[in-house]
Amino acid sequence: MSLAVGAVLVADAGLAFHGWSMATAAAVSAACALVGSFLVVRRMSLLGDAIAHAVLPGIAVAVLAGGRLGGPLVLVGAVAAGLVTVWLTRALHAAVGLAEDAGAGVVFTSLFALGVVIVTLCAAQIDLDPQCVLFGILELAAFDLVSLGPLLGSSVGPVLVPRAFLTASAVLGLVTATLLGTWRLQVFTAFDPAAARAAGLPVAALTILLLGTTAVATVAAFEAVGAVLVVAMLVVPAATAELLVHRMPHVAALAVALAMVAACLGWAAAWWLNTSAAGMMAVVLGGFYGLAVALAPGEGFVARAATRLGLAWRVAREDWLARIWRAGEEAGGAGEVTRPRPRSLLERAVAGWLEWTGVVVLHRGMVRLSAPGVREAETVVRSHRLWEAWLGRHAELPLDHLHPPAEWLEHHLGAAMRERIEAEMAVGEADPHGREIPPESGARP
Amino acid sequence: MMIDLGTSAAWTPLVAAAGPAGLAMTYNTLVVLAGVAAVGFAAGVAGTLALLRRRPLVGDAAAHATLLGVGTAFLLTGRRDLPTLLAGALVSAVAAVGVLVLLRRIARTRDDAATAIVIGVSFGAGLAVVAGITARGLPGSAGLEQFLLGHTAALTARDALLLAAASLGVVVLVAVALKEAVLVAFDAAFAAASGWPVGLIDAALVSLVALMVVVGLPAAGAVLVTALVVIPPVAARQWTNRVGPMLLLAGLFGLAAAVAGVLLSTLRPGLATGPLVVLAAAAICFVSFVVAPERGWLARRLGEADRRRRWTRGRVLGECFALCGDDAATGFERALVIDRAAGDSGSLRRDAGRAWHQLVREGVLERATLRAGGRDFGQESVARGAAVRGAMPQAGRDRWRLSSAGLVQARERRRRIGAWRDVLDAAVENGRDALTLDLPAPEEVLEGVVLAPLAAAWQSAPRAAEDTR
Repeated sequence: MSLAVGAVLVADAGLAFHGWSMATAAAVSAACALVGSFLVVRRMSLLGDAIAHAVLPGIAVAVLAGGRLGGPLVLVGAVAAGLVTVWLTRALHAAVGLAEDAGAGVVFTSLFALGVVIVTLCAAQIDLDPQCVLFGILELAAFDLVSLGPLLGSSVGPVLVPRAFLTASAVLGLVTATLLGTWRLQVFTAFDPAAARAAGLPVAALTILLLGTTAVATVAAFEAVGAVLVVAMLVVPAATAELLVHRMPHVAALAVALAMVAACLGWAAAWWLNTSAAGMMAVVLGGFYGLAVALAPGEGFVARAATRLGLAWRVAREDWLARIWRAGEEAGGAGEVTRPRPRSLLERAVAGWLEWTGVVVLHRGMVRLSAPGVREAETVVRSHRLWEAWLGRHAELPLDHLHPPAEWLEHHLGAAMRERIEAEMAVGEADPHGREIPPESGARP
Repeated sequence: MMIDLGTSAAWTPLVAAAGPAGLAMTYNTLVVLAGVAAVGFAAGVAGTLALLRRRPLVGDAAAHATLLGVGTAFLLTGRRDLPTLLAGALVSAVAAVGVLVLLRRIARTRDDAATAIVIGVSFGAGLAVVAGITARGLPGSAGLEQFLLGHTAALTARDALLLAAASLGVVVLVAVALKEAVLVAFDAAFAAASGWPVGLIDAALVSLVALMVVVGLPAAGAVLVTALVVIPPVAARQWTNRVGPMLLLAGLFGLAAAVAGVLLSTLRPGLATGPLVVLAAAAICFVSFVVAPERGWLARRLGEADRRRRWTRGRVLGECFALCGDDAATGFERALVIDRAAGDSGSLRRDAGRAWHQLVREGVLERATLRAGGRDFGQESVARGAAVRGAMPQAGRDRWRLSSAGLVQARERRRRIGAWRDVLDAAVENGRDALTLDLPAPEEVLEGVVLAPLAAAWQSAPRAAEDTR
C-alpha cells in the first residue's frame, strides 16, 4: 500500500518535490512536538494554542518592516508577539482580576484578528497571503529554492535547497539546543514548580524560555501548516506519547518520532486525495492519538475492556464448574448430573467452551467433570466454604448472610489465604452450613 | 394610510436615514445587519453564563469543529444554502463536545490537552474536507472558506432571519433557565446538594454555547467565533456585579461589536467580517478595562491613591499628636513631623508633604503665633522662665500646632487605634500586624458582644499617649 502510494508520488511529480516537502513538514513537526511535550506536561496546551494564533500580528508587522518569512526579523517579531500574549494575559489577571483562561481567550482572538486585518489590508505591500495564514503553504515550499553553493565551496556546484526547509531545520536546531541545554531544569520545573522555586531555580525565566521557544517553533510551523493547526502539531504528538510511555525523555523522543511519521503520511495522504497537506497531517495525528487511546498497553480502553472481559470469563467458568460439582455433591457424590441451565449468554458460551475442550464431559444431556475440572471446582468450592467459615467466626454475620460475600470472594482467595483460614479451624471441621470443605487440590487421596 | 413594510420602497427613507455617509444601504444590507446584531446580542448573553460558570473557552472546540460539519454537509447534500450548512455545523459542534467529554472519561489526557486535540484535529479534518472540495471544483463549492473568517456580504435576508430567529430562541432559553444556570454557576456543590440536576444544566449550557457558536459562524467564522462568546461578557463583567445588568450589557456589547464589524467590512471589498467584529469587541473590552468604575484600571489606581492619601494623612496627624503630647498649646516643627512620618522613603516624604498641606487646608494644623495666647506665649509661660522658653518660637522658625478641631480628630484616631489593638489582641493571633491602616472605629464595625469585655478595661485604664502613633 505505502509502496504503491510512493510509486504514484514519484511518478506523479518527482522524488525531489515530495522528498523536500516531507522533510520540511517533518522538521517543523519535530520542533513543535519537542516543545509540545513540555507544554502538555505543564498544562499549557491552550497557552500554546494562544501563542500560535497571536504570533500573526508580530509576523505581519515584521514583514511590513521589511523582514521576510523565515528571516531573523520575523522570528523576533513572532517571539515578541508570543510573549506579549502571555504578558497581556497575566497583566489582565493582575490589573483587573480577569481569570487567565478568559484573559487568554480575549487576548489571542484579538491579536489574531488584528493580524488578519493587517495581512488583508496590506496584502499588496507584503508577501503574505491571507490564505497561507490559515492553510500554510507547504505545497509551494519545494519551489522556493536557494543555492547552498556559496556555503559549501564552489567545488560542489549549485546545491538547491528549499528555503522553507532551511528555516525549518534552523528552527529545529534552535529548539532542540535550547531544550536539551536546559533539559533537567525544564523537567524539574515542569513536574514540581514549587520545589523548583524552593531549590532556587529561575522558574519564571525557564517558563519564558519555554514560551519563547514555543513562539519560535510556531513561526516555522506557521509557514508550513498555518496558524490554526499549529496547536495540533504542538499537542497531539506529546499527548499520544504520554499514553504510551511514562518517562519524560521517552515521551519527548516518541512524540518527535510520531510527529515526523505523521508529517510524511499526512503529506502522502493529502497528495493522494488532492487536499490540504496541513489538514491531513492533523488528521493523521488525530488517528495516532485515537489508536493510542484505544490500544495503549494497560491503559487503552481496549486493554481495560479485555481485562474486564477476561475476569468475567474466569468468574463464569469457575461458577459453572462449581455448580456442576455442587449438583454432584447434592446427588450424593454422583459423577454425572443433569446439565444445569445457563443463566446468561456468557455462561452459555463458557459451558460450550468447557465441553468443547473436554474439561466438562457432556453425554446424553448429562455432564461430568474431568479430573482437571474436579480440581478447579474443588478449589472454588473450598475457597467459598473457607470464607464462609471465616466470616461466621469473625464477622458475626447471621447464617443466611454468609453466602453472598463468599460468592464474590471465592474467585479471589489465594492458596496462602486458604491455608491461613484452614489453620484456624479444627481438623475436619465443616463450613457454617455443615457441609464438608474439600481439601486443597491434589491432597485428596 | 397603509404602508407595506415588505417592499423595499417603504424602507427607503429609513435606509437613507440609517446609512452612514458613503455606505449604500439596501434593504438586504439592513436585514443582514439586524440579523447579525441579534446574533451578537445572543452570543453575549449565552457567553455570560459560560463565563460565570468559569468555562469561557467551552465553545472553542465546538467552534473549530464546525468547519468539518459545513464541508461534510455540502459534500453529502450538494447544497450550499445556509440552513443545510449550519445544520451540519451544529452536528459536528455537538460531536466535538461529545468527544471531549468522552476523552475525559476514557483517556488519561489532561483536560487542556484534550481540548487542544479536539480543536486541532477537528479543524484539520475540516480543512482537509473543504480543501478537497475546492480542489475538485465541485459545482457551487466556491465560498465555503467564507466560514473560516466570516463573511456577511453573501447573506440573504432569509439567512439573516434564520440567524435572528435562532438567536431569539437562545435568548428566550437563557431567560427561562436563568435561575438554575446562575445557581449552578455560583455554587454548583450547593445546587447539587439541593437536588438540582447539575450535570443536565451544565450540558444545557454547553449546548447553548455550541448553538451560539454555530449561529455566529457566518458573522465571525470558525476561527474567531469564540471571541463573540468570550469578549463581550468579559467586558460587561467590568461594569457590574449583578447578573441581570451583566447579561444585558454583554448582549449590547456583542450587538455593538457585530454591527460595527459588519459596517467596517463594507468599507473595503475582500475584508472578512470576523476579524473586524472581534477587533470591535476588543476595543469595547479595552475601554471597559480602563474606565469601568470600581474594577477598571483607572478606578483601581485612583482608589489606591486615595487609600494611600488617607493613610499618610493619618500618619502625619499621629506624629503631630505625639510631638505635642495631647497639648494644644505645644508647638512642633513641620520638618520634624515629616521626618518622623516618612523615615528614609523619598516617595513617602512627598506624600507626607502633601498630607501636611491637606491638614493645613482643613484647619487641623495652624501656625503657632504670639497672637494665640496659648501657654507657649502667654504671661504664664514667660513667668515660668527657661524651662518653657525652649519651646517658644524663635524668630523666623516654622512652628505649628494642632487646632482644637485637630486635637479632637487626633484623640479620636488614637482612641480608635488603641481600641482596635485591644480587639485584635483579644480575638486574633498576630492581630497587631493588621494595624497599619487608617481604620474606622471598632464600634462601627464589630458587634457589641465582641467589645463588651474590653469596654470595662477601657473605662478603668485610659491608654497611654506614646504607643498610639
